[in-house]
Amino acid sequence: MTDNEPIIDTSGLVKQYGGIAALQGVDFSVDRGELHCIIGPNGAGKSTFFKLLMGIERPTAGAIHYKGRDVTSLGSFERARLGFSVKFQNIRVYPDLTVYHNLFIPLRRHHRMKKIPGQVAELLGELRLSGTENETVSNLSHGQIQWLAIGMSIAAEPEVLLLDEPTAGMSDDETRETAEIIRRLSATGMTILVIEHDMAFIRDLNTRTTVLHYGRLFAQGTFSEIEANEEVHQIYLGTL
Amino acid sequence: MGSNEQRSVLDKYLGRLNGPQTIGRGVPFWTCFLAVVVVLALCPEFLSRYEIINFSNFLISGFLALSLCLLWGYCGVLSLGQAAFFGVGGYTYGIVALNLLNAHGNTDVAFVAGIVVPTLLAGILGLIMFYARLAGVYIAILMLVVSLMFELFLLQTADPDYTIGAAYIGGFNGLRPASPDDPLLPSLIFGAGESVLEFDGRSVEFYYLTLGLLGAVYLGLRWLVNSSYGYLLVGVREDSHRTETFGYDIRLVQLSVFCIAAAIAGLAGVLYTAWGTFIHPNQFGLKANILPVIWVAVGGRKDLTAALIGALVLEWVGIRLAAVGEISLLIMGAILVVAMLVTPEGVVTTLARVVEQGRAFARARWGRGGTGPRSERQDS
Repeated sequence: MTDNEPIIDTSGLVKQYGGIAALQGVDFSVDRGELHCIIGPNGAGKSTFFKLLMGIERPTAGAIHYKGRDVTSLGSFERARLGFSVKFQNIRVYPDLTVYHNLFIPLRRHHRMKKIPGQVAELLGELRLSGTENETVSNLSHGQIQWLAIGMSIAAEPEVLLLDEPTAGMSDDETRETAEIIRRLSATGMTILVIEHDMAFIRDLNTRTTVLHYGRLFAQGTFSEIEANEEVHQIYLGTL
Repeated sequence: MGSNEQRSVLDKYLGRLNGPQTIGRGVPFWTCFLAVVVVLALCPEFLSRYEIINFSNFLISGFLALSLCLLWGYCGVLSLGQAAFFGVGGYTYGIVALNLLNAHGNTDVAFVAGIVVPTLLAGILGLIMFYARLAGVYIAILMLVVSLMFELFLLQTADPDYTIGAAYIGGFNGLRPASPDDPLLPSLIFGAGESVLEFDGRSVEFYYLTLGLLGAVYLGLRWLVNSSYGYLLVGVREDSHRTETFGYDIRLVQLSVFCIAAAIAGLAGVLYTAWGTFIHPNQFGLKANILPVIWVAVGGRKDLTAALIGALVLEWVGIRLAAVGEISLLIMGAILVVAMLVTPEGVVTTLARVVEQGRAFARARWGRGGTGPRSERQDS
């Protein structure tokens, strides 16, 4: 592929749950190395879209291409091996394990055993979690658990990172620090998609943004353009 | 020597046996462990022959508990049909031993076959179940049905046509020789060349063999669950879909642990058949399948030691209560209900946690040792 080709390209993506259509034909693409935000009202299909991208669920119709290759039928572990990674909306860390071993499991897949302690220390440093490696997850604050979940997602050094509400439940300071972490990851060339409800956070990231509404792509542009869009105000931003 | 230094010495020599996925990491635990081994080893000195024969049987239940604990407790795959592999192991051992005893003079092949055949069966069943993405209660029920089907089939093999060489399957009469000329179902006879080592199921030697094998399986599993594979098992248990998004094919993880658990259950079946020189279709029955689940649940499913203690103690209590008469089943039922209500995580696991918290409190209060239970959980 050339640099101009999108790294992810979806065409006509449809997902139906029984009679309910969560996605109704989404054509979406993102360039390599892009930091891209996805916003929209509750029930717009944002999390469903991520589940389809990660291969956790299969689309009812449509296709997903990654670097020009059709990956629609691949399961989540196969997509992870290609370079996808996700942080779910409902966080999902391993509650019975220590911080160290929460990171150990994703690292083990991609690194030699001897390298793992160093990798854990590096990740904890990046995520402002140094010194917590022997804590069990239940001893962490909510913001720390969010960071740990992000750390587990980036442990494999993915090419595409999907972050579903990375700042949910965080304090203002923690939200700012999270934006800083995401900007630093983006600077390494990682392609990052972020779902968020926190407009201050998205304004802070100030990057290309897509609005989903009723399972369709409603608007796309820079965040300033989106903020100035009257229709987006009516369906979503005006309601916040 | 402070407790931290003691622990680092233990970590050095015990390595992954001493890891955080298992209860008991310090000097007191390993001292108790050694004491229990010594007491069990000395049992033949002060127990009657009848009691030693019973004890051999308790130890055999320990294998089944460890097998289910690994599968259910560590990987989160509950099977209500673990006895299927026990039974298949037992029948395989019996059939092969009856056929090869005269020719070989030992039961080496039968012993190995009794472990390999249930493992292969688990491989086939596991491929179907896990690759069809079955999970949770569906696996539990499917495995129970598989086991009950074995029982149903074997109960219908009383017809004299159901013979495999020198072995007559025997239906509800249990496995036996096909003709009076064939040898009887033997206990374990290991042979290498001319030398032969015999373990009569009623002997003290058999008790020691079972004790040694149980210790080896227990320590081997401790090593396994504290290895990197063990953490993967726990990852699959706690959130299988999340683990998959890290690039792990969890079907393969579940299949592998299913096979290991089946091999251990098969070994238990071999020992059981060799112990009583007999096996019956009721080893595939409902009671045989549910008992291991109860042992493991009451002891504590998320820990090998807890599950093992659960099995040994409940089996022992069961035998003691049997002397009381019919009411023993009611008493046993009451014990189980109360235990599960009061300690849903398991009696032994809960007691271990109370002890750990007590020690942490003592350290915090009187400043001995310096580290709390949380910080003890370091990677080995």
